[in-house]
Amino acid sequence: MPNLYSDVLLDHFRNPRNFGSLPAPDIRYETFNPLCGDRIRIEIELSGDAIRAARFQGDGCAISLAAASMLTEMIVGSDITAVEIISREELLSSLKCDIIPARVQCALLPLEALQAGVTLYVTECRR
Amino acid sequence: MIEKRVAMVTLVATRGTAPKKEGAKMWVGENGHLLGSVTIGGCVDARVIQASEQVLASFQPQMLSMSLGEEDAWEGGFTCAGTIDILIEPVDLANPEDRLRSLYRSLRDEVAGGRCVAVATPLDHPAYKLIVWDDGRVLGELGAPELDRQAQEIGRELIQKRTSRTIALDSGRASSDVFFEVHAPPPTLIVFGAGHVSTALVSLAKNLGLKTIVVDGRPRFATKERFPEADELLVGIPSEIARGLRYTSSTYVVLAAHDYKYDIPVLKTVLNTEAAYIGMLSSKRRGEAILGFLAESGVDMQALNRVRVPIGLDIGAITASEIALSILAEAVAVKTKRPGTPLKNR
Repeated sequence: MPNLYSDVLLDHFRNPRNFGSLPAPDIRYETFNPLCGDRIRIEIELSGDAIRAARFQGDGCAISLAAASMLTEMIVGSDITAVEIISREELLSSLKCDIIPARVQCALLPLEALQAGVTLYVTECRR
Repeated sequence: MIEKRVAMVTLVATRGTAPKKEGAKMWVGENGHLLGSVTIGGCVDARVIQASEQVLASFQPQMLSMSLGEEDAWEGGFTCAGTIDILIEPVDLANPEDRLRSLYRSLRDEVAGGRCVAVATPLDHPAYKLIVWDDGRVLGELGAPELDRQAQEIGRELIQKRTSRTIALDSGRASSDVFFEVHAPPPTLIVFGAGHVSTALVSLAKNLGLKTIVVDGRPRFATKERFPEADELLVGIPSEIARGLRYTSSTYVVLAAHDYKYDIPVLKTVLNTEAAYIGMLSSKRRGEAILGFLAESGVDMQALNRVRVPIGLDIGAITASEIALSILAEAVAVKTKRPGTPLKNR
């Protein structure tokens, strides 16, 4: 793996945290990059509005898998309303390296899946 | 229906050099239509057709033994110099009561359902038939219980090897040369990655009679328009799809995405299967990096050595079609345990 990736990013890529699936997730959302083929699915188990567990599955590049791994670590224990306001910059900075503009989409794919899933869940709950 | 009554010709044994393997078939219709072949043509086929016409006239099965070296061309050394045994059986396609018609319809249904079967036929009494399934079930008889028992055992072994063959059975009181005809689902090609090489690969594989499955994460690539001949197009997380597929000793796996994000997780799955062939589209350098990464992840070297990378035989392939040809030639060679070298050098 080239040196342009941080040790943190490489560690999450090689040893992804929360990789897998949940038996009965409250939120499940999958998204993909139509051109490069990265595909990430996020699953969340709630206790009230609190995120009790998070898992992800997917085939993606080092950046997208590491981002998904970090993201799932970030959100466990927090409220789903907090998930909706996680910023791109917050996730990108957690990767501890400069992601070139052409690859920013890779890092943001898991966040897109997470926020879309949460939005859908909240919308359906409020209906 | 073009023909109502046909002679079904089956190559049941070969000795020496013969152009076709046991199990090769040819059908000769009473109106002259031909389908398939048990040799590669010439005078031998002419004799087979002649004998088939006799079988259709008498409607009785017949065995035929022919030396491929006894033709006129022998003087010039133009023949294969082997001997073949052929079983010719009449079939009335218009008669629902015809036993062979019913038998082969049943076999077709079994194979369509993904099951493997062997039909045992004693060559001295071809009216006897015993069907053996890969799970050990049997149906029919060979005329002696001990022959049935032996046939059940041998049939299962030959199903495993996907090989049709004549074997001498001996029950003490009865002995017989029994032809085991193995029927199994066609080999399957599973391609991960729906790029341009994969389109050529699937097209060529279809011509070779393979069932084809294309897997990709991108719905824009894995389309019916791009893969009109594909039997299945599966879009989703490729490694997850890979875990749900069935791999047998007749499965060829090609990783054609040229992308580690598919190659690494899919290899982790397929290396634990009995797939006959696993090849990865890649340069040598990139391939070594991927295999190195998997080794660091705990995949053992014996498993990694199964991966053909760079993929294909060295035929100087440049275009997608040529690369497809190179890949499938290697896949067939690996499956049949042949070196893939020029026959001239044998």
